[in-house]
Amino acid sequence: MNDAQTLVVEVKAIEAVTPLIKHFTLGPPDGGTLPAFSGGSHIVVVMKGAARVHRNPYSLLSPPHELDTYQIGVRRMEESRGGSHYMHDAVQVGSRLEIAHPVNLFALDKIARKHLLIAGGIGITPFMAMLEDLHGGAVPYELHYSVRAPEHAAFLARLDERETGRVRMYYDSAGHAIDFEGLLSRQPLGTHVYVCGPAAMINRVISTAQLCGWPDSHIHSEQFSAPPVGDAFEVFLARSDLKVHVPPDQSLMESIEAAGVEVPYLCRGGVCGFCLTTVLELDGELVHNDHYLSEAERSRGKQIMPCVSRARCRHLVLDL
Amino acid sequence: MLVTGIKSKPVYAPLHADVRGRYHLMLGHGAGGVALLRVLKELEASAPAALGATRVLYLPQPTMGNLAAAAFASVTPQSGAADAPVDPVQELEALALQELKLFTDVPALLADFSSILEHSLMGTRLYVAGPESFIGLAMKIALEFNLNKDEIRAEELGSRARRVYCIHCRATTEEVRTNIVACAGCRRSLLVRDHYSRRLAAYMGVMVDAEAPGEIPEIREVFV
Repeated sequence: MNDAQTLVVEVKAIEAVTPLIKHFTLGPPDGGTLPAFSGGSHIVVVMKGAARVHRNPYSLLSPPHELDTYQIGVRRMEESRGGSHYMHDAVQVGSRLEIAHPVNLFALDKIARKHLLIAGGIGITPFMAMLEDLHGGAVPYELHYSVRAPEHAAFLARLDERETGRVRMYYDSAGHAIDFEGLLSRQPLGTHVYVCGPAAMINRVISTAQLCGWPDSHIHSEQFSAPPVGDAFEVFLARSDLKVHVPPDQSLMESIEAAGVEVPYLCRGGVCGFCLTTVLELDGELVHNDHYLSEAERSRGKQIMPCVSRARCRHLVLDL
Repeated sequence: MLVTGIKSKPVYAPLHADVRGRYHLMLGHGAGGVALLRVLKELEASAPAALGATRVLYLPQPTMGNLAAAAFASVTPQSGAADAPVDPVQELEALALQELKLFTDVPALLADFSSILEHSLMGTRLYVAGPESFIGLAMKIALEFNLNKDEIRAEELGSRARRVYCIHCRATTEEVRTNIVACAGCRRSLLVRDHYSRRLAAYMGVMVDAEAPGEIPEIREVFV
């Protein structure tokens, strides 16, 4: 994926669904339908701000069978590098945005005997579309949805209306906590667990599931990391014969793109592995922030995911 | 007509205990009992309490019940020195297992296996040891319960006789030891390929003389 393959959409509606989350409805400017997707898919929104271009991944939350619009939920991040603030403050009904085609890195297992969905906060978004795929089917499912307080529970009305009896709410403000061990230790054989939410919740679900004897093939998670900030550094692109400066608050990928070199991407959140780039020379260390490379691959220092990872170095040469 | 070198041919490996599992379910047939004993000893050494969460379903007789028992005897090592048949039943009975059930035929064992899976929880590991066709039938059921590769281990011990699915009439011929076999359903001469279906638990059999009727290559015993 690169910007040549993006679609232009128009913002059809914006609704503030919680104090921090805005719900955007996007559609083709001249009518018609958008590309098909399955529950769990995300798009990358390209935001051309005054100072810089932001490209952020957002899960599609609209029903996969309704393709006249896509819907996304955007949470205003406290430590935003600008993307979520741009969506919240600069985008209006009628604004045009570029989006990349949907990609699914968080798909439902098609032959599971049961689906256990666990959402924390804005992590509810991929499940909204997954629930549409599951609704009315023969395979049992349940959603456990944890938020700070009732006013932060996005899309609750829709869940109440469609999924009565299959959703359990947990409010931090009321002292509720998901009993992960209890939940994961009594699931029937053939269950798959899906978790999307804060890193601590994802790690907790994965480690508890493993403790309960779950094999990795039944555990699914998705967390898009915003590219972390870090020290500025210089990178030399060997094939392009170009030197690029990476400032502290811009990712390696963004800096390379700003210099006019395209890097293939799908998720821009360190999940998919699509932007895997070969490190040709390095004097210093790589700062890996992705969820893709193994420990062994990281320690070899020969590969980097430029969407979220950086370097602390005097000299870095990439095969780009 | 490609016969070997086909990727769907299952590959098995010696069983080892997976102590990450919370429950262990073991199926054995014939010589497979020895492999199960070995895993159980391993489990006992690394996590003694795990035996209390282990169920063993075992069919001691090395035959497929009423099928071709005599033919099987011809390929089983005869009583002699190192290959003397081991009877693991006594040793299994001595272990503090959650459950040990003995069977006298494959269908009864598999029916029990199915009903156990119906009530099993995530965290269960499956171990299967025995002849290939037994493993295949067990895997077919495991697949229906969405057990994945990382939850199943299988070790092949005993007969390599194949279940062969006729791609023409869809009948399955049991206990096939030869490279070419007469289909139990339509009597066509089938060439037995390595192309395996996990869903059917059978190798594919393709009419060998479709293009030159009556021209049948030499029939050899190859799956012993």
